Amino acid sequence: MADAVEAELLRGENLTRVYPDGNVQALRGVTLSVRKHESVAITGPSGCGKSTLLHLLGGLDQPTSGTVYFENKALSEIDLNDYHARRIGFVFQSFHLLPTLSAVENVQVPMFEASWPRSERVQRAERLLDEVGLLHRRNHLPTKLSVGERQRVAIARALANEPGLILADEPTGNLDSVSQNEILSLLDRLREDRSLTLLLITHSAEVATWADRIIHLLDGRIVDGV
Amino acid sequence: MRFTTLIVRNLVRRGVRTLLTVVGLSIGIAAVVAMLGIAWGFERSFLAINEAKGIDLMVVRAGVSDKLTSSLDESLEGTLKRIPGVKTAAGSYMDVVSFEDANLVSVLVNGWEPNSILFQGIRLIGGRTLIPGDGHSVLLGRVLALNLRKKVGDSLDVAGEPFRVVGLFESESLFENGGMIVPRSVLQKMMGREGNVTGFVVKTEPNDSKTIEEVGKRIEAAVPGVAAVPSRDYVQGDIRIRMVKAMAWTTSAIALILGSIGVLNTMMMTVFERTMEIGLLRALGWKRKRVLALILGEALALGFAGALLGVFVGYLEIQALARTPTASGFVSSSVPTSVIGVGLGLGLGLSLLGGIYPALRGAAMQPTEALRHG
Repeated sequence: MADAVEAELLRGENLTRVYPDGNVQALRGVTLSVRKHESVAITGPSGCGKSTLLHLLGGLDQPTSGTVYFENKALSEIDLNDYHARRIGFVFQSFHLLPTLSAVENVQVPMFEASWPRSERVQRAERLLDEVGLLHRRNHLPTKLSVGERQRVAIARALANEPGLILADEPTGNLDSVSQNEILSLLDRLREDRSLTLLLITHSAEVATWADRIIHLLDGRIVDGV
Repeated sequence: MRFTTLIVRNLVRRGVRTLLTVVGLSIGIAAVVAMLGIAWGFERSFLAINEAKGIDLMVVRAGVSDKLTSSLDESLEGTLKRIPGVKTAAGSYMDVVSFEDANLVSVLVNGWEPNSILFQGIRLIGGRTLIPGDGHSVLLGRVLALNLRKKVGDSLDVAGEPFRVVGLFESESLFENGGMIVPRSVLQKMMGREGNVTGFVVKTEPNDSKTIEEVGKRIEAAVPGVAAVPSRDYVQGDIRIRMVKAMAWTTSAIALILGSIGVLNTMMMTVFERTMEIGLLRALGWKRKRVLALILGEALALGFAGALLGVFVGYLEIQALARTPTASGFVSSSVPTSVIGVGLGLGLGLSLLGGIYPALRGAAMQPTEALRHG
């Protein structure tokens, strides 16, 4: 039991989220735990509360009730800027790359909060782009990259400050099947190489099977796979 | 990538809007620089007159707002010279005339006695100076001679009376260069002010500030109804200089309001359009103060560009004015660094003012709310 607690990285306890506008209850008492180095897929139909749950676990939003713990510390007790900048990395469905910056510059954006010197930022960003197979496209703007390449840049950016946990919100939602498999393979390889923990939101049952563990969400409640 | 790279890219991304904001801001700043530059030139030119002649005190009618309207009896010169501490004194009658054909208005005419101390600082560049017994003889300043295209020996119609150009001169003062000197008695008669002068210049001995102040008090006590003002105070209190300065600062105030609104509008649009991006930066761990710095940095870059352009355009305006016949007699082509500093400072200040609210709005955005826009 002691080993299991030590191995736990992220935990949500009895999380609820009610949006005041429209009195929508997006989450209804969700409790889940994610261990270090595992990959977890949260799946369910549209509107079931997947993204809301990810935002709460990522500290982007506050639960109406309940608590999120990271390494056994409540998020309310830790520096959220540090949590976002160094402890976790986000990957979004729409990539959210800054359109005026090249691939290598986009990867450097989170590094400003890590206070690395400029030369080191560039070197690190190039190493990360190399890791995702895009070093040859380092100076291309997002509009000059394919959607699959954009998501690779976004993944490299999520790893900018070497976090232990990646939170991915429908990372293959905008990709064709070939690109989808490439991105999933990439995430798998990175997880192995870097001992990452992966929490993935997806509405696709096929993508969900790729994870170590699947949690099904329906109407704001976990119905299977805690 | 530097932090400033992000600032510059964001501004270049919306190039037309950035350019229009910069141009809008620069118009106000150009007006301020031009007005302040002209005011400074005015003041500098007036001061140069007194410095060149070594004048310590100006004696004029007390209470007049425009020194040109001052009127004193010329016989007071003897009284002034007898006051302890006064080294010498000289009366001057000044007026302004126009030369419509040459498009020259408000040309300064100095009525001086030949051999007066007022000729100190006047350097002849052609012909001769005024001599006792001269009638309708005139000395033309270098700029006025150029504008009127007159040379020594030419005739000149001044306020309806014929004069002969007997000499050309140059002075440290722009006003004197753009004006003329005629015998005092002739000018008094022309203007129907025989026996009157505009005021007196006084040199004291010694001429330290304490003595100057004491002599001024003695003059005011000895001659009721006059004001004896140290020459620097006299210049700074001149109604024309004060009016130009007031206009310059009124223009500044208008520029302040318009420029701030322009930057505010641009930066508000920027923040609203980039709501998702700002949310993303927060999700990537950027602190509020870094988001604040990004938006304020963009506003300051706009202000700096507007200020540079404004100072440059203002400088060109002054150069152009200084070359026009109408204004060349009183507008100096030199622009002091203090005026350039005010222009740059104003640009940065305005942009900071206009950028604060949008920056605070941007920094206060919740990442989840902002990311929903994506």
